[in-house]
Amino acid sequence: MTQRFQEFYHWLDVQAHRIPAIPRNLGVTALFLCAAYWASSILIGHTGGENNSALVFVLAVVFISLLTSGYFYGIAASIIGTLWINIYFMEPYAAFSLSRPGYPVALLSMVAISCVVCALTARVKKQATEAVRREKKAKALYEQNEKLNAEKAAIQLQSERISIRESILRAVSHDLRTPLTAISGAVSVLLSSPEVSEKNLAMLADIKQDADGLIVMVENLLSVTRVQDGTMPLKKREEMLEEVAGDALLTTRRRFPDYHIELDLSEDILYLPMDPLLVKQVIVNLLENAIRHSGDREHIVLRLYRQEDWAVVEVRDRGRGLSPEVCQSIEAGRPMPLSGDATRGMGIGLSVCQSIIKAHGGFFTAENHREGGAVFRFGLPTEEEKL
Amino acid sequence: MSEKQTILIIEDERAISNFISRALTANDYRAIPAYTGKEGLSLFFSHGPDLVLLDLGLPDMDGLEILSQLRGLPREVPVIIISARDREAEKVRALDMGADDYVVKPFGVSELLARIRSALRRADRMKLSQGIQRSVYQIKDLTIDLARHQVLLGGEEIHFTQNEFKIIELLAIHAGKVLTYDFILEHIWGPYGGTGSNQILRVNMANIRRKLKENPSEPRYIHTELGIGYRMLDD
Repeated sequence: MTQRFQEFYHWLDVQAHRIPAIPRNLGVTALFLCAAYWASSILIGHTGGENNSALVFVLAVVFISLLTSGYFYGIAASIIGTLWINIYFMEPYAAFSLSRPGYPVALLSMVAISCVVCALTARVKKQATEAVRREKKAKALYEQNEKLNAEKAAIQLQSERISIRESILRAVSHDLRTPLTAISGAVSVLLSSPEVSEKNLAMLADIKQDADGLIVMVENLLSVTRVQDGTMPLKKREEMLEEVAGDALLTTRRRFPDYHIELDLSEDILYLPMDPLLVKQVIVNLLENAIRHSGDREHIVLRLYRQEDWAVVEVRDRGRGLSPEVCQSIEAGRPMPLSGDATRGMGIGLSVCQSIIKAHGGFFTAENHREGGAVFRFGLPTEEEKL
Repeated sequence: MSEKQTILIIEDERAISNFISRALTANDYRAIPAYTGKEGLSLFFSHGPDLVLLDLGLPDMDGLEILSQLRGLPREVPVIIISARDREAEKVRALDMGADDYVVKPFGVSELLARIRSALRRADRMKLSQGIQRSVYQIKDLTIDLARHQVLLGGEEIHFTQNEFKIIELLAIHAGKVLTYDFILEHIWGPYGGTGSNQILRVNMANIRRKLKENPSEPRYIHTELGIGYRMLDD
């Protein structure tokens, strides 16, 4: 019930406040006094008494106090009302008279009543506006809460998506690696077995090479899936670059034992944040690229050094160099052209390198050396950028 | 010794288990395959193998659980872990629980055989020494004399700081075994020494490599296990 009243009052308040304060207050006062006068005139025709008119005027004063701002209009209305009663509804009619005993008491009590009523209504008004304010606040809080809930749900969905992707990747990598390990392993056993004929040996060697190639390809594809759209965080930690490079070189040597690759280490200790397995893969890819495409077997050099705020890794060969298209697309950060025999297989490996380095906030370049051969270079920031 | 050394292979992927068995037989070991954890444990007790190859991703039991059961026994049998590439934390835990070494799928036969040889040699050495610590270790042309606190490389003395020497000493005592960063940190700097970061160890290691003129791509004395720890070679 009070709620209804508050709502209605609020509505009325809003409507009334469209009119400027003084005309509104005056209008309300005049309206209710006239209504009281009109009601009293009717009542006096029926009852002939003066007590009723006093009550009607008190009621009018109550409404006036309620609907005007401040105490002024209520008190003014009560004084006017008292005078009006005196003139029109008390004997002698149509004349002001203080002749009847007790009239001053009636006058004073009517003023006192209006004062009390004014004070009370002022409080009610204050409570009403307070209630409205509180309601607004509650509504705002509720809306904010809704928004937060929606955001929370979105984050949860995102992290669920990541964990689903993680588990799919793990399953795929397990299902691909296991048979490849078995194939490559079984072939190695056969290769070292004395029972295999010369002819079959060559075929087994081919199988072994292809299986190992597939292993590398699977690792590349898995890494690029991990890195590419940036939804999965890198597993970064502080790592010694020379250890990563050394490990990469060991892996490459195991696959290509006939190639000579030199490691040129910096005297500086390069210890920086990275995902070591991914960076190792970049180095392995660059070395393999040099081995497969340069035609150089003797002078491949892997060099590490510090340049300002970058830890730089450089793979240089003295082979046939890069075609302008390859240089251009690396310059532009575009994926490698995948067609053409000369670049066969090169595209995926180098694209993976680009993606991984980009995800680390590093740079990746390729150019031809003045003295011949290609130089691939990438740099990783030595300081973790502050987010 | 005329008797063949026995190796228990606890691996659920038959294709992998098969080629490992063949490779081991071809290299004069006796191979016993087990395809579940329970089978592995019972074959372990019935055959008493000289070495265990243990896959961490078994269908019926956690590989680490098997490892802790094996490590609870009085006879210490070397264990080599077979694990997936992206489960580093698991590998580190297995090594800290006493596994000797690990290989990562996809691994090659020669790599696996090298690690098996190294682990078996280490076990032999432990048996011979009966727990008495040696005072001189020899790895190729590197001599580590614990009593004299001296390291000689090709007959020439190399000077190390106290912590560098402690690291070399620790690796030499456990030669052939992978020591994790945390293991080394705790032994050299105490239980709270390396809290949060192993930079101090890594930098010391980089200095040791420089003093030994060690090329990380052709390790002669100390092998880096990327992201895991270090291992002193023993042949």
